[in-house]
Amino acid sequence: MLETKSFTQKGDTGKQNRICLSRLLGLMRSWFSKPANIILLFFLIALVLLTLYPLVTMLGEMFIVHNNERSAVRSLGLKKGDFTFFHFERLLLMLSDGGSMGITRSNSWIQFYQPLFNTLIVSLASSFIAIFFGGVVSFLVTRTNIKCKRFISGVFVFPYIMPAWTLALFWQNFFKNVEIGLGTSNGILASVFGIFMPEWFVYGAFPISVVLGLHYAPFAYILIGGILRNMDANLEEAATMLKTPRSRIIWRITLPIVKPAMLSTFLLVLASSMSAYSVPVFLGSPVKFYMLSTKMKSLMDTASGQAYIIATVMILFGVSILMLNQKVTNSRKQFTTVTGKSGQVSLIDLKGARYVLAGILVVVLLFVAVVPLITFALESFIIKAGDYSISNMTLDFWIGRDLQYLEQGDNSGILLSPKVWNALGNSLLLAISCSVVAGTCGILVGYGVARRRGSKLANWVNSLSFFPYLMPSLAFGAIYLALSYRVPWLRGFLLLAIAGSIKYLPFASRSGISTMLQLSGEIEEAALIMGVPWWKRMLKIIFPIQKSSFLSGYLLPMVSCMRELSLFVLLVPTSNALLTTMLMQYSEKGWAQFGNAINLLIIFVVTLITVLVNKLTGASIDKGVGA
Amino acid sequence: MKKILTLLLALSLVLTSVAALADVKQTVVDAKDISHEELVEKAKAEEGTFIVYGNTSRIATAAEDFAALYGITVESSNLKDGEIYTKLDNEIAAKQGADMVMIQDGANLTYYVEDGSLINYVPASVKANVNEKDAMPLVHQYTNKLFIYNNGGDNVPAIKNVWELTDPSMKGNIIFKNPELEKVNMNFLVMLTSDEWSEKLAKAYEELKGEKIELGEYKNAGYKWIAEFLPNCSFGSSDTKIAEEVSQETATGKIGLFVLSKLRSSSVLTENLTVAQYDATEKGYVVEPFAGFMYPIYTLISSAAGRPYTAMLFIEYLMSQEGFKPWGKSIGAYSSNTAILPLEGDLGLDVWRETLVIEDPEFVLDAGDDVRTFVSKFLQ
Repeated sequence: MLETKSFTQKGDTGKQNRICLSRLLGLMRSWFSKPANIILLFFLIALVLLTLYPLVTMLGEMFIVHNNERSAVRSLGLKKGDFTFFHFERLLLMLSDGGSMGITRSNSWIQFYQPLFNTLIVSLASSFIAIFFGGVVSFLVTRTNIKCKRFISGVFVFPYIMPAWTLALFWQNFFKNVEIGLGTSNGILASVFGIFMPEWFVYGAFPISVVLGLHYAPFAYILIGGILRNMDANLEEAATMLKTPRSRIIWRITLPIVKPAMLSTFLLVLASSMSAYSVPVFLGSPVKFYMLSTKMKSLMDTASGQAYIIATVMILFGVSILMLNQKVTNSRKQFTTVTGKSGQVSLIDLKGARYVLAGILVVVLLFVAVVPLITFALESFIIKAGDYSISNMTLDFWIGRDLQYLEQGDNSGILLSPKVWNALGNSLLLAISCSVVAGTCGILVGYGVARRRGSKLANWVNSLSFFPYLMPSLAFGAIYLALSYRVPWLRGFLLLAIAGSIKYLPFASRSGISTMLQLSGEIEEAALIMGVPWWKRMLKIIFPIQKSSFLSGYLLPMVSCMRELSLFVLLVPTSNALLTTMLMQYSEKGWAQFGNAINLLIIFVVTLITVLVNKLTGASIDKGVGA
Repeated sequence: MKKILTLLLALSLVLTSVAALADVKQTVVDAKDISHEELVEKAKAEEGTFIVYGNTSRIATAAEDFAALYGITVESSNLKDGEIYTKLDNEIAAKQGADMVMIQDGANLTYYVEDGSLINYVPASVKANVNEKDAMPLVHQYTNKLFIYNNGGDNVPAIKNVWELTDPSMKGNIIFKNPELEKVNMNFLVMLTSDEWSEKLAKAYEELKGEKIELGEYKNAGYKWIAEFLPNCSFGSSDTKIAEEVSQETATGKIGLFVLSKLRSSSVLTENLTVAQYDATEKGYVVEPFAGFMYPIYTLISSAAGRPYTAMLFIEYLMSQEGFKPWGKSIGAYSSNTAILPLEGDLGLDVWRETLVIEDPEFVLDAGDDVRTFVSKFLQ
């Protein structure tokens, strides 16, 4: 009897197991039948390997002795590779100067706390400037009848296309004078107009914030503008019909809708400003104003452990903002702005102000986007610095042969130099590769996160896809360099392409996620009912609807990659490999004319590509806002 | 079993690494007496691209000329010394990467030579012409950073004693590259705290002020000079930029401490500049107790080299008259090969050795950490 019962129980258990298994299989089949799940799982695994692993490696670097710290830890009996808390003690806890000068002269204060304070001030100020300037201009272009929309829209992205240091250099060259900074020469304003600007205006926190704010304002312009243009007009129309005042509509409808884009911009600009290096070097160093990024760079060569601690602190700040951003996009509030219904957005009539505001904007844009280009062009024509007479000008640095200006280096103009063409080819190939990989991944991540919104998997992928952005380029490059020697196939161009794609994935994923969040599920549902396969729904429905926003997801990585320096400086096989590394070398060696010419070449190529994309696809980087 | 396998695997990896290290070193040792022809033959027989890193831009020209002369493919990279060391750390651990480096910062280099990461090679052809001091590790050339001032206006800072630079009236008039951005600048400051230089500084102080130096809270005259000199400095981001700025018509009263060879740049208005030591030599006095500083640029073979014979051949070439040409064409670069004379109009290495502070890697390693912490107080 007992045996029979036990046999029956065994049979039941087996049956139950089979049922459980088939249920599980069924659940899995159902789970995997949703493309969003497969996409998220794939990206979870890929991102853990490509972003979390480098991050963990970086964290480990804070606790070991590096080659360049061997003399500092010699008295402690430590050697290379040993575990230590020395870097933390030195950077964070050395709060006495050992003399009578007080805490403000202590090592920790000078190397960490003061730069941290400076960084926070500059990052917050530049984020505010970028959002305010970019947001206001995108609003004026999309929602009002302001004049010169095409010009404003086209030129606004210029400061972002240009490497940030060029704007910093222009600021310095325009405003500097003999009474401040190095005090050696007068800029255009002082020498031509006799106006001597005060030091706080030319060097330090104020100009760094303004330059970074202007440089990153196109983020706000593209992200906020994209949403403003695509938002459902029904919301505003309904409010208008109910006779709601315009100011109230903006405050209660428009602003809440662009809130995710504003937060994304804030996050992007804050993280970028924190890790910006060249702008603080140009506009901060002359008055001994240092930020975490400049300290990290100098410590990277002398005390790598301390540099990695600074990198981690920068990441921690970024993560805090990321969590805030996450909280907002995960809340129950809906941000769907593009639905199956269409609508025509009514433009605000600015009346006479449309000319005045357009005039002001055109002047400002000319100053920050066009005048620097003219000065760079001029600098690439003159032979002897500071002499702008026609007799001192030449096209040699562009198209000359057998030049004798330099004892070494190039003896032909940049357009006739095979080295430059080779570097241009490499830069283009790299930028396009990174843009295709990052852009496509960004759309897929956006789709997955939006469709599985609120799920843990979506949240993880969302956060992980943004992580690379929070890692300072220099540290990211150093980690990938170390990785490349552990992974045999990670070499040469592939190394650059993978590092670039990962580093710029956040641009594309931010754009992809915010674009997908605007898309109502109903758009895809109709096709789903008709049995249209997933890839066809993506290509024929989703992509065409949000083409302009998606393309910005492709163009932003491309533009960023074309002018990236810190990330690639350690990864390139030779300094002539890319245009930016070549540009840096030329600038450092004092070959200013060649440097300026290459800088213009970069801007020209990027502009040409954006125009070509515009002609071929009808979309452009500023499309969201375009006329 | 698993543990044993893991241990065996780890052991074999270690042994392979040691063998690889030993291979390059042994090859270099065995080749020390081979003839030039044999070296060329062996170098040409090596496969792959020859890779070299250098912290001087002129390495590109030297590499191109070398490639043309021997028909060997060369890939040269001009990097900052910190970047070269970072790359080397990874490459040596992975046993693959550049074959050879030209690099500065002798103190840091000591470790790489000691642990066999970088291998010294003195070509037989130049052995007799290189001082013993410059042979281990092999110095390719010396570079000097000098006090150079703007000679316009009526407040020309034609200094005769470096204590003049500590005067409050000099505040903002001295331009120097931030010592945190370039180790050789920091090494120079470290050297000033050595017994030799602090004594010389104390003597120079007495000569200028007519009274004995009072050290107060400072350990010696070197520390005192640093503490009074740095607050008077403005910091430039590169030596080229500093040279350009000090040379401007409007930069009267300014003095810089920067690389002499930057005067070759077309963007520097050299007619507005005077080199303090040149002026002193011409007028028959000396700048007390130094007119700037000088540091070596070394050339060594990487233990991860895949083409050790080519590396040796390139070093031999760099040490020759022909190979030094890219540097020898302008002032401010001095070959350690005594057969190569300085450019006409420039002073010789023997003069500079007497008038400039030269880094001593051993002392920098001993005192470096203390002085770096001390220096950082005055960079804010």
